Amino acid sequence: MIEQLLSDLSFFKPELTLVVTFLTAILTDLVFRRSPVVVAAVCLAGFALTGIFILGQNGEEALIFGNMLTVDAFAVFFKVLITLSAILVLVFSLSSAELNTPGRSLGEYYSLLVALTLGMILMAGATNLLMIYLAIELSSMTSYILTGYTREAPDSSEASLKYVIYGGLSSGIMLYGISILYGLTGTLDLYQLNQVLATGDINDFTLLIAGVFTMVGFGYKISAVPFHFWTPDVYEGAPITITAFLSVASKAAGFAVFIRFLKVAFVDAGAGEVAGGFWTMLQGFDWPLMVAIVSVLTMTLGNLVALWQDNMKRLLAYSSIAHAGYLLMGVVVMGNEGTAAVLIYFIAYLFMNLGAFYVVMLIANKTGSEDVEDYRGLAARAPFLSLSLSLFLISLTGLPPTVGFIGKLYLFAALLNSGWIWLAVVGGINTVISLYYYVKVFRNMYLREDEEKKGRIEVGAAQLATLVVLLVPIILFFFYFPPIVEFAQASIRIFGTP
Amino acid sequence: MLTEFGRVLIFFIIGAVFVAGGLVTAWLIRPNRPYPSKLTTYECGEVPIGDTRVRFNIRFYVIALIFLIFDVEVVFLFPWALVYSQLGWFAFVEMVIFIVILFVGYAYVWRKGDLDWDRPAPKIPTFEKGVGVREDHLLEEQVVGS
Repeated sequence: MIEQLLSDLSFFKPELTLVVTFLTAILTDLVFRRSPVVVAAVCLAGFALTGIFILGQNGEEALIFGNMLTVDAFAVFFKVLITLSAILVLVFSLSSAELNTPGRSLGEYYSLLVALTLGMILMAGATNLLMIYLAIELSSMTSYILTGYTREAPDSSEASLKYVIYGGLSSGIMLYGISILYGLTGTLDLYQLNQVLATGDINDFTLLIAGVFTMVGFGYKISAVPFHFWTPDVYEGAPITITAFLSVASKAAGFAVFIRFLKVAFVDAGAGEVAGGFWTMLQGFDWPLMVAIVSVLTMTLGNLVALWQDNMKRLLAYSSIAHAGYLLMGVVVMGNEGTAAVLIYFIAYLFMNLGAFYVVMLIANKTGSEDVEDYRGLAARAPFLSLSLSLFLISLTGLPPTVGFIGKLYLFAALLNSGWIWLAVVGGINTVISLYYYVKVFRNMYLREDEEKKGRIEVGAAQLATLVVLLVPIILFFFYFPPIVEFAQASIRIFGTP
Repeated sequence: MLTEFGRVLIFFIIGAVFVAGGLVTAWLIRPNRPYPSKLTTYECGEVPIGDTRVRFNIRFYVIALIFLIFDVEVVFLFPWALVYSQLGWFAFVEMVIFIVILFVGYAYVWRKGDLDWDRPAPKIPTFEKGVGVREDHLLEEQVVGS
């Protein structure tokens, strides 16, 4: 027993590193009270080490700690994604004017960022409903605090409170769903759950209720309609860095846990390999249709409401809801191709969404405003920032020559190959709608004049370098996309599934 | 016919009927003679002042949270101490790690000043006309009622 635990620890290095980083960051904060940069350095080093350990897990497969967690290619992919965005967000935070105000101690901010990352990384590998719930709670709790970190701003506190209430409610409903699943099957382990469900000796109606309730928790994490109500307020009120992190990493972790839950528990493990890589779903609950409905609702509502937004953060919040809808289209396929498309889209989404939020942050640093109206004449004031923002937004729309196009291409290809024609049409119409509100930003930046003729916006060399780091993949992976496609296709392997 | 949960349901129904029955019977046969001091909140013979919904100091909450953490620590320490001789060094190291993690939290709370209980400066009451008058009408009614 003990030997087993000790040998399992060797698969747990990334998480352990984050735990140690968290504790060290707290202690460093107590010693170097006046210089949060030291804490940031500790956290950055911890993230880098975590990243190295995660890359070292490439190709390993194991179930550890009594089937609580798993290490497989799928988990490693999301761990890489989450750690990478954590590093980028940490770098963003260093130059955020909103956070670095005199009299605020940022040490806690950085250590909580580590805790949040730990929660998300645990979500990526959890294979037990209890572990899934615990990981979701860890990441939710820290998100609540970080959302309200700029507590002197009223909308930040408001956002935090709303987040707590919605989060509490949906995690309660999810826990109820999990308890019904446990009552039905007598197990919390996803693999055993699958075996019991495969016997078919389950009341369909009860399974429907349990499935929908559990779905509430996942839907809340990925901000899918109708569990999205917290998203606009939280994204608007939270510090921009946290908004960026929540919109990318939190969503990625939510998708990781959702896809794993579907594939491990609801795919017939005995069916073996099916032509075309489609999963053989167990009878009893029509997951594809259910996810398709949520997907259509999510992207349509996200895009339609985004049309009326005049705050940049709120606009990007609704755009991220719409993107959750696009990503869900890949899940609907319930096959290897669809999952690979989701992963490819996530690589694109990481760079384009973080990039868009970063530019919004740099502009807000200087102008103190996030209103789309205040972007008038920005092209003359900050040519490079405007160009970057345009590229990120073009990528979010899914037009060439950006990586967003590749992401959308694979998503739609997966849909068409699996016969979900109507869903692909709805997705296409939505992409066209989304073009309108992204173009609104271009129009303000390039075609409209600023009457007050404000001065140029200068950004430092470090910020420019960070921006270039985000811009290069956007263009590069459009012209040379085989690496990300191969990486994604190799990463769909989930432990113990056909 | 009757499943195990059916018995639980019957238990619930009997429980509800028992409570409702007691209350209804008492309501039917008890004398009903209310007067103001009987209807006031019972507070050990004191005349009640103000609302029960007052604001508590947030520090009580912080202290309760910290207490909870160390309470859980003790809960984990007891079974550990019982099986310690069987597990040996592994258990010792593991518990040291656990306590160190908690200790970091304790150091954090201490250093951040969450254990400081800065009391507000005491307000010494001064005599003002009209303050401190007893509400004698309540007492009079009590005498009449008894």
